[in-house]
Amino acid sequence: MIGTGERAAMDETVRGAIADALARGDGADVDGVLAGLAWLEILDGDRDAAIEIVFRALGAANATATPLDDVLASALGHEPRADLAVLLPRFAAWQPPGRIADGDVEADGVATARVASAARQILVVCGTESEPWSVVVPTNDVEAQVVRGVDPESGLRAVRARGMRSSAARLDAAAWCSAVALGRRAVAHQIEGACRAMLDLARSHAMERVQFGRPIARFQAVRHRLADTLVAVEALEAALAAAREQPSPETAALAKAIAGRTAQTVARHCQQVLAGIGFTTDHRFHRYLKRTMALEGLLGSADAIVLDVGRRLLADRRVPTLIEL
Amino acid sequence: MSFSKSDRGDSPSTTDLAAYRAELHAWLDAHHEELAPRSGAPRTLQARVAQMQKVKSILFDAGWMQLGWPERVGGRGGSPMLRTELGAALAARDLADPGLFSLVEVLVPTLIDFAPPVLAADVVPRLLSGAELWCQGFSEPDSGSDLASLRCRAAPRGGDAGTATEWVITGQKVWTSLAQFSDRCVLLTRTGPAESRHRGITAFFVDMHSPGIAVAPLEMLNGELEFAEVFFDDVVVPADRMLGQLNGGWAVAMSILPYERSSCFWQRIAYLYRRLQRLVDVAPEDDRAAEAIGEAYVQLHALRARSRATQHRLAETGAIGAETSIDKVLVATAEQTTYDAVRRLLPGTVEMDDGVAGDLWRSEYLYSRAATIYGGTAEVQRNIIARRLLELGSEE
Repeated sequence: MIGTGERAAMDETVRGAIADALARGDGADVDGVLAGLAWLEILDGDRDAAIEIVFRALGAANATATPLDDVLASALGHEPRADLAVLLPRFAAWQPPGRIADGDVEADGVATARVASAARQILVVCGTESEPWSVVVPTNDVEAQVVRGVDPESGLRAVRARGMRSSAARLDAAAWCSAVALGRRAVAHQIEGACRAMLDLARSHAMERVQFGRPIARFQAVRHRLADTLVAVEALEAALAAAREQPSPETAALAKAIAGRTAQTVARHCQQVLAGIGFTTDHRFHRYLKRTMALEGLLGSADAIVLDVGRRLLADRRVPTLIEL
Repeated sequence: MSFSKSDRGDSPSTTDLAAYRAELHAWLDAHHEELAPRSGAPRTLQARVAQMQKVKSILFDAGWMQLGWPERVGGRGGSPMLRTELGAALAARDLADPGLFSLVEVLVPTLIDFAPPVLAADVVPRLLSGAELWCQGFSEPDSGSDLASLRCRAAPRGGDAGTATEWVITGQKVWTSLAQFSDRCVLLTRTGPAESRHRGITAFFVDMHSPGIAVAPLEMLNGELEFAEVFFDDVVVPADRMLGQLNGGWAVAMSILPYERSSCFWQRIAYLYRRLQRLVDVAPEDDRAAEAIGEAYVQLHALRARSRATQHRLAETGAIGAETSIDKVLVATAEQTTYDAVRRLLPGTVEMDDGVAGDLWRSEYLYSRAATIYGGTAEVQRNIIARRLLELGSEE
């Protein structure tokens, strides 16, 4: 396990390395930076710390990289490696992206930029949440279309894959749910990093922007928006800490839902505080807004998770507290 | 704004807490008959107060109430988290109203930290055992959010603050919860010049049966008389009932914050989970209900996660401060979201149902509207977050 001091140092190193890479211009190879930082070894050594530090840093820098493939591959029992991608479910969904039909496995989902670059194979999970199978498909055999969407820089691809039923292997019953849980925590940390960054941008703007002869940070309407933003971000951090300390599919699902809600709250308030400049591409805010909109759809949107959680509570007629002191 | 380490015992491990919780719940299961309200859920405030005092008395006799309090005030020592678990367990079982029960959390620490030791040792067990009820006299008609402007006057009898053996109190308090049931009051008074603000306030421990005190309960919008106006007309208080230093009352008022924002909130949260459970028991099984319930549950979870982190930070560092305004905003928001879900999913219950369920939901729904007002308004919390946590500078 990584100690607190070491963790802070690692946090700084990762942030610094990513910032340096981004400063060198567009098309930065952030995956290369992570490889240089021995990301896979850290993931293997202290998974929780690795995920927290790396994904939060990616979110904070609005960097595009593909460590989510490694997180999911390792949770699905594969040795994570740069040439292995993992197929994600479609926007907002979290069920296995593949279906077993006749002699084939058909899949329809999204993947990180890795599917179109370093990956030679993509891991496709099919079947149901409780009865998952997996099949490894050569990336040469998949159709991968760039998703421009709201955030063309996200690197995401829409992927259709086909595999042979006979090559599918049965996974442990809990494997998919565990992978989704871990992936959700990773994505939620990335959203958390982006939310902090948006708050920092809005706060700086409020302190510097002068209207009516004073910084707009003096106006209570502005202060209260920023206060509500901080409340939301801190609540998300707490939910993520709870998901780490008391891990379960449920605490991870709730953390992801809270991340989605938080991103909306933060973006709404920060954009309003940034006002005109936040509506232009001259200011960095728009990148965070768009990235969080894209991330919101990975491994279950807030709306979809909230509905699912509510249905379960009603079906069981029981409201568990999940975390204890 | 922090309590001394020696009063808090050692920070318990989560394993120890889990073992304690299991033992506590087993005991509560075994004594359910005795502890439960005699004829269903109490429908009036008076019945809720009586139920709480009964529960406190049983728990005191069995030794539970004393856990987490220092031995010098009749406690049995141990971490304050033991008290938090107890309050939460009672709330989760509807055995005691956490709003009433957790008053102990804000009153006892004041006595421990600021009362003469003999006084604290004498009176604290009376509160813990349910023999007495106390209240807090802070707010005044002209001093709500701006507490430092309070005017209720305390003057030394004979004129010399240094040698006086008695003080004479004159003025008015308002929103004093449970004043009409109370035996004592932790009272904030003005002892400095009118403009001295927080530097001229002194706290006293006042016997509510003293001559010159008149209590006029105020009816809340749910029909209950939880709080009152309290009038002080030349009320004589012995000088040894002063809490803390002369003109040191602001420190007394502020010292309550860590307790109010940790243990009290955890109890409130347990109560809100219980309320959501009650809603889930009767809500229709459709997607509209699933969405509203899911939303409330997600908010409660974020709040619970935050409150848990706050309490562990308090146990580890011995201090929490302005950052608990975040907890306060989250509690108020989650509480109102939960009751909004009740109103949406049980149409007509709050508005038209004159049966037991209607009475309970209506009373609690209406009470929940105050969540953004009491204990520091939502606006004051946001001002604190902006100034102290975001460091946005002053508003002027």
